[in-house]
Amino acid sequence: MEAIRDTQKRYGSAAMALAIFAGLFFIIAGYKPIAKGLILGTLFSVLNFVLMGETLALRVSPSRARSSVLSMGTAMFRYLLLALPLIVAVRNDTFDLVSTVIGIFMIQLLVLGDHVAGALVSRRKRDD
Amino acid sequence: MAYDISTWVNLAAFTGAGIAMGLGAVGAAIGEGYTASEASVAVSRNTKLSGDVFKSMLVGQAVAESASIFALVIAILLLFLDVPNPTLVKGAALFGAGLCMGFGAIGSGVGSGFPGGQACRGMVHQPAMASRLTTNMLIGSAVCQTPAIFAMVVALILMFVDFSSAPLQPTWAALLGAGVSTGLAAIGSGIGGGLAAGASCEGVARSPEAVGPVTTTMLVGQAVSQTPSIFGLLISFVLVFKTFPETAALQTAMALLGAGLCMGFGGIGPGIGNGMAAEGAVRWVARRVDHAGDLMRTMLVGQAVSQSTAIYAMVISLVLIFVV
Repeated sequence: MEAIRDTQKRYGSAAMALAIFAGLFFIIAGYKPIAKGLILGTLFSVLNFVLMGETLALRVSPSRARSSVLSMGTAMFRYLLLALPLIVAVRNDTFDLVSTVIGIFMIQLLVLGDHVAGALVSRRKRDD
Repeated sequence: MAYDISTWVNLAAFTGAGIAMGLGAVGAAIGEGYTASEASVAVSRNTKLSGDVFKSMLVGQAVAESASIFALVIAILLLFLDVPNPTLVKGAALFGAGLCMGFGAIGSGVGSGFPGGQACRGMVHQPAMASRLTTNMLIGSAVCQTPAIFAMVVALILMFVDFSSAPLQPTWAALLGAGVSTGLAAIGSGIGGGLAAGASCEGVARSPEAVGPVTTTMLVGQAVSQTPSIFGLLISFVLVFKTFPETAALQTAMALLGAGLCMGFGGIGPGIGNGMAAEGAVRWVARRVDHAGDLMRTMLVGQAVSQSTAIYAMVISLVLIFVV
């Protein structure tokens, strides 16, 4: 489980740092709702990622049907959690909805960006 | 008991939200279950590598569940959307948006599970290729999300375009048709793309030296697998943006709804079939890398033939829209 914690720490802290820096930039530029939406969405994205990791061991079962049922149950719980920032952003004009949605995908964007960048760097090294 | 228009619009939006999230969760859960099941097989083969397997599973599932998060976003918007000018046409558009996103997330969710599962298995066979397996898994999973993104785009168009000047008859049918066209067609493309991505992870684990040709064949195979969902998107755009004159004839409305159903159902099989062709080619490129060119050609010919049924569906859809 140490490998999972390390992965969570790595992507979770990077996502929050990126959201806070981008948020600061938007606040300075005068777009406070965008900054608040981005940070709120990212916070719940990180929470979702942490919960996903914590329930991994529970979901790994030799039976595919049992794995699917457990995945469905934990997913529904996490989606309820992810719905909260969206509801806040829809109901409250001080949070920008689009930036909240982008924040919710911050972990996914970071994971993809990290691996694609890594693959490009290793290809360039190999070519050199 | 008579209900006012606003109540009907709310009813359509709430039902659409339920369908979007309900169906949207199904695909991701099946995909995640598949990945978890393959991960447990991998861990049982080599318990020392359980950390790497779990890490790969976690990262893969985070990307794989994107489709259902798209569905969540659409469902929340449908639940809390403020409709300034409620009309029955808008109600049909909101219900269509829910259908589109719900169906559209199924294939991507299921398909994303295949590369995740095969990457976990492959990691046990080739621990040295863990990083490359994870990259292939993530790229494959990300491409699998494309049909769900198409569905989300159509759902957002249906939710935010102003249809207040459009006549109820036959626009309601055109908007529902637009929703099911992209939504249903996305199912096949999502699953098909996943089959190709899963085979690529299996191939990289089997023959690490073939990683380049395997990845190229996977990407080409996935690109062709996405074509039926692009046809679905095209029919949706025609149904949403074409102006239909008001008519009392029910057959015109049914023709438009039929056009969406025709393209939607007609896109499922070719999407999966194209994915199967890509899966076979990718798997064998890993075993016979010297024949990668021949295998690619065979895959493309097979996919072209499989694609023809989606083209028939698109032709009939266009006839239903423009001729009937």
